[in-house]
Amino acid sequence: MSAAAQPQPAAPRYVPFSWLRDFRLIPRLETYPRVVEFSQTIAGKALLLALFGYGLYYATWLHYLTNPRWKVQICFLVAVTVLPKYRRILLVAGTLVWACGIWWKWAEHPQIIQAAISLTLAALILWSAMRFRSSWIACRPVLTVLTGFAALVFAASYLPRGGSLRSAAFSFLPVAGAYVWFLAYSLMDIGSKRRDPVAMQVGIYQPIWGSSNTPFPKGAAYLRRIEAQNPLQLAVAQIKGLKLLWWSIVLDLFLNYAFIPLVHGYLNVPLYDFVFHLSLVRAPFKWYMGWASLICEFIENMVRFSIWGHRIVAVCRMAGFNALRNTYRPLASRSIAEFWNRYYYYFKELLVDCFFYPAFLRYCKKWGRWRLFAATAAAAGFGNAFFHFFRDLNYIDDQGFFHALVGFQAYIFYVIVLSVGIGISQMRQRKHENVGWIRSRIVAPLCVGLFFCLLHVFDFTYFAYKRYPIQEAFRFLGHLFNLVS
Amino acid sequence: MDHKAAIRKFLQDLLAAKGDRRPFSDDDSLVFSGRLQSVDAVDVAVFLEENYGVDFAEMGFDQERLDTLNGIVGLIEETRRVKH
Repeated sequence: MSAAAQPQPAAPRYVPFSWLRDFRLIPRLETYPRVVEFSQTIAGKALLLALFGYGLYYATWLHYLTNPRWKVQICFLVAVTVLPKYRRILLVAGTLVWACGIWWKWAEHPQIIQAAISLTLAALILWSAMRFRSSWIACRPVLTVLTGFAALVFAASYLPRGGSLRSAAFSFLPVAGAYVWFLAYSLMDIGSKRRDPVAMQVGIYQPIWGSSNTPFPKGAAYLRRIEAQNPLQLAVAQIKGLKLLWWSIVLDLFLNYAFIPLVHGYLNVPLYDFVFHLSLVRAPFKWYMGWASLICEFIENMVRFSIWGHRIVAVCRMAGFNALRNTYRPLASRSIAEFWNRYYYYFKELLVDCFFYPAFLRYCKKWGRWRLFAATAAAAGFGNAFFHFFRDLNYIDDQGFFHALVGFQAYIFYVIVLSVGIGISQMRQRKHENVGWIRSRIVAPLCVGLFFCLLHVFDFTYFAYKRYPIQEAFRFLGHLFNLVS
Repeated sequence: MDHKAAIRKFLQDLLAAKGDRRPFSDDDSLVFSGRLQSVDAVDVAVFLEENYGVDFAEMGFDQERLDTLNGIVGLIEETRRVKH
């Protein structure tokens, strides 16, 4: 073949700051063969555990916390590292020890009983769905559980005020509510050929590595998929876990020893709570102070949230489950949909699994081009509102069901705007794949950040244990644009 | 083109649209590894509905079965067995 006939290599495309793309503050140790090899030895495992244990202790010490979770967690991690074959059983045991131990220590004795009742009920429901495969609960598991829980809350809100039945109901329901979404994941898994036994599923609700009402990291099906199957995979997962824990500590130090002292100390930017309160009491403040406090609150929340999620996922990885991060570079998002995916991954996954897929694949099949949009509205809109409304049960107890629903108006507005934003962003994403570097890396992330910053005004109406009407959120928005004095 | 090749091509295009041009084997995890998002799994589901008559409303949606190329091929074969 002649030289002329050979295809000419294309000139390398110039990508600004491409060196930054591969830069890591903490190197990718899991890709270094010698590090991975060493981590599989006894000395390597001991070193990983020691560094992780110290990290957990230091992270607790940083905030002067007396929370003993790190001690329980490190004991659990030592056990699963030494006995990887019994990982799932140890996980169940560790979770139960943690749950009973901490409630005992905090003298929340009734909660131990309530949690035990909740877990027993969950096990019964799960067993029934497995046993009677043609029953309604087996065919529509998520719908049944969520409707049932909502009906219980609705009924409890109509019990006489001051009565012992109402007080017992609103003491029990928040505890049961902490397990509802875990049960939903278990019920979604009943069709799987490799599903875990009932005890192994229920035993890891609110697992030892931490969680909120949102299951971390999803359900048993996901755990099976990401579990380390050999020493090499375990070493990689543990190295990634250790890195993530120390990255969370770096973020913690940055937030508490650099960012907050700089913006609230040196630059005197007021706290967002304070500025919002000024708006509530009709006190004047400068529009730029509103912006400064809103942007700082947005960044602080994001970093704080990343730290919280990283610590949970770090322990999960250290236990041998190579879970994805909960928060992954949200500020690099080029679309609203991408930000939502990167900011709170496991909440987004919960809504996708419980609302998006059923809506898309079952209920909106004939919707044509609106199918994706409708399913997005079902998840980011309805599912999101449902999750938060039935999470704040004390508010429903205080206000009654319908008053609480009316008080939820600002959050309903928030989820409507969010779901429309995500829906449009998903449609646009499919049309515009290739845009310039400045537009995709600078302009788009800034616009996305601005969108979520402004939307936070409507998310922040649950302040000082009280919800404020939507007019207050619009009034604050008016302040930002200097439209309100 | 057989099923496997057609699906591989579809998955490659889906990944390429996200800037991911790394190769993948028949058993490599795509969804649970984070290479494809849950919403991308919907694209795969629609592709299977339209081209292979897979009805997820009937059989239930299991993300685990869409996680690997072999899992997807197995799903198609199961659908065909049920239909015949």
